[in-house]
Amino acid sequence: MGQDKGILVVGGGISGLTTAVEAAETGYTTVTIVEKNPYLGGRVAQHYRYFPKLCPPYCGLEINFRRIKQNPAIRYYTMAEVEDVSGSAGDFRVRVRQSPRYVNEKCTACNACVEACPVERPNDFNFGMDTTKAIYLPHEMAFPMRYVIDDRHCKGLECSKCVDACKFGAIDLQMKPSTVELNVGSIVYATGWNPYDAARMDNLGFGRIKNVITNMMMERLSAPNGPTKGKIQRPSDGKEVKRIAFVQCAGSRDENHLPYCSAICCMASLKQATYLREKVPDSKATIFYIDLRAPGKYEDFLRRVDADENIVMIKGKVAKIEEDQATGDVVVTAEDVAGGKKIQEGFDMVVLAVGMEPQTRTREFPGGLRYEENGFIDVEQPAGVFGAGVAKKPLDVTSSVQDATASAIKCIQTVAGGK
Amino acid sequence: MAEETVISPDIKFIRELKETGGETLKKCYQCATCSVVCPISPDDRPFPRKEMVMAQWGMKEEIFSSPDIWTCHNCNDCSKYCPRGARPGDVLGALRQRFIKEAAVPGFMGNLVTEPKMTLVALAIPLLLFLVVLGVTGHLGIPEGRIVYSKLFPIRYIEVIFLSAVGLAGVAYLTSLSRFWNRLTRVNGRGYSKAFVPALVETITEFLKHSKFAKCEANRDRKNGHLLVFYGFVGLFITTLWITFYYYVPKIHSPIPLSDPMKWFGNLSALTLLTGSLIVIANRTKDKGINTRSSSFDWTFVIMVLLVCVTGILTELIRLAGIAALAYPMYLVHLTFVFYIIVYFPYSKLAHMGYRTLAIAYSKMTARDVEA
Repeated sequence: MGQDKGILVVGGGISGLTTAVEAAETGYTTVTIVEKNPYLGGRVAQHYRYFPKLCPPYCGLEINFRRIKQNPAIRYYTMAEVEDVSGSAGDFRVRVRQSPRYVNEKCTACNACVEACPVERPNDFNFGMDTTKAIYLPHEMAFPMRYVIDDRHCKGLECSKCVDACKFGAIDLQMKPSTVELNVGSIVYATGWNPYDAARMDNLGFGRIKNVITNMMMERLSAPNGPTKGKIQRPSDGKEVKRIAFVQCAGSRDENHLPYCSAICCMASLKQATYLREKVPDSKATIFYIDLRAPGKYEDFLRRVDADENIVMIKGKVAKIEEDQATGDVVVTAEDVAGGKKIQEGFDMVVLAVGMEPQTRTREFPGGLRYEENGFIDVEQPAGVFGAGVAKKPLDVTSSVQDATASAIKCIQTVAGGK
Repeated sequence: MAEETVISPDIKFIRELKETGGETLKKCYQCATCSVVCPISPDDRPFPRKEMVMAQWGMKEEIFSSPDIWTCHNCNDCSKYCPRGARPGDVLGALRQRFIKEAAVPGFMGNLVTEPKMTLVALAIPLLLFLVVLGVTGHLGIPEGRIVYSKLFPIRYIEVIFLSAVGLAGVAYLTSLSRFWNRLTRVNGRGYSKAFVPALVETITEFLKHSKFAKCEANRDRKNGHLLVFYGFVGLFITTLWITFYYYVPKIHSPIPLSDPMKWFGNLSALTLLTGSLIVIANRTKDKGINTRSSSFDWTFVIMVLLVCVTGILTELIRLAGIAALAYPMYLVHLTFVFYIIVYFPYSKLAHMGYRTLAIAYSKMTARDVEA
């Protein structure tokens, strides 16, 4: 074990965190997490509830954060990205670039800076559905619990109002990007995914029609810490949503967009239909699908949702979405395959069930990674390099955690095996 | 309680369909995007999704008893948005070709004209016929003096050959059309909300304006090409009537001077047809792989249209240039292509004319038509 250089985990979402804590808790190795966002937790942090138990995801994340805090074998960098990788299994040299946060560890999250800041920015955590100040807390449960400045919007030294407002000297507007050199034995890419860009489906109206949103936006709209404090209101006029449509396979299983099935969107829409039904008792949800995919034990969940007579499922993909200019309603057209008719129906809001596009499909990562045809990272990688979670294939949270745990053992075999 | 439906897939039909431009058929997974993006698909039992699944199952009878493959104008909005590359537009085109072949009276004519590999035989038949007639009557050879085509091929021979051939073809076509109509009304019923004549008038008005074509989005340019080809043919038909009138009433015989209005009209129609067919060809080459993938059946017909134009124009130009040794053979070649277009029409792509007219009229009568 004397030669152990530890493990690098790229990505601090649920998969990366799982690999990190599972590997470190064996006591065999040390782990460094590199995360691009100013907080850990990734996509899971943006969710309102998990399927099928419908419990809040944050409790699972908090357990992981506690395990990180308690374990000196785990280090993490936020706002950091891997720039270069050289070397080979057992001896990788990695250059990490860390962007300036402009807020140091003295921050107590008192919020005085936010009150002083005169500039607003679109809140990317809520997919632009609200704004924050240029200095902000990524979200109210953020880990680390520390503010950050968006330097694309901050006016910098000439303003400095936040610096004056901070009683703890936590803000340093002159902070510069820094570079960290790491020497590790094994690397795990847990780089996760982005929602597919829904504006690319020109017939589905996203970006043109205000009340057409994505499934991830629906998570934020439903979450108590979201832009509407958990009230499901439509973006155009804040009207309470009573009639909602879910458009399955929006850009998925489509050779013009994502050719594969993301495996989670059916379950996500079933779950989101229950959000509305629970919050607005006289609401009605319609799910338009090609095939409803609720694999294995999830079929029970499908049956449970289907039993609600105010959740209607129609076989037939929505291929046209238009706006009723007068009311702001969204009119969708689909062929009801079983009924043999084209139907046109108006809804208060439409949710596009867009799929997961791996980070690695839209940007390249260093380290000689191999990719499969859809841009996910391949199972076969150079020795000592592994993938975990959605970086490898579309998975739900449970399966991601299982996969990430398996990746932990693969890394340990590399850094500690046979010694 | 459950009604039992027995489907006997016609495997041979599926295979033939895949061989004639419908090879993407089996990629369809029935999402129904096509039925929604199609601008001319009705709300009641829309197409082409149902045609795709029926074709996958080899349900020839069901497909051929529906008006919908003929309502389709091959805009290919469906193929553009199809998530699987199943190309419903091409599959429906292949279905129409199979229909024309199946409905052919007599059956062997269907084989001769719809199979592109038989095209040379189909062309050789009229050419040999002309040569034999000219040989037997002692007209084979380049006539002396001013170029007058009736010196080589007397008008009464042309009349006998073409009128009898077109007459036979017309009877055959009417037979196929009436069978199609009987099938439509037998299978789909006679619950009419509109009478035949007004429906027919409405349909033909739409054709004259190409208003259904105008609804196409993915393949907008096709409308102009088709419109010119359509009016080119109409113009040449009128020209033929006109020249026949000249021949029998004021007894004006060809060649008719260029200054004559009939000549202007005829030449203008020929240029319209030529421009139209060139636009069609240009669109097909341009769109290849994106929107329309033409089958060889489509290509055969459009090339025949182009050739009938080109040889017709050359026949006129060479005559004006006074090169007898070239002009007379060119005339024979031109007549061969004319024969192909006007005698083989019940079996070529041109056959869609009658089937489409009846199909759309029927859809209007049963309130399944989309307003154009």
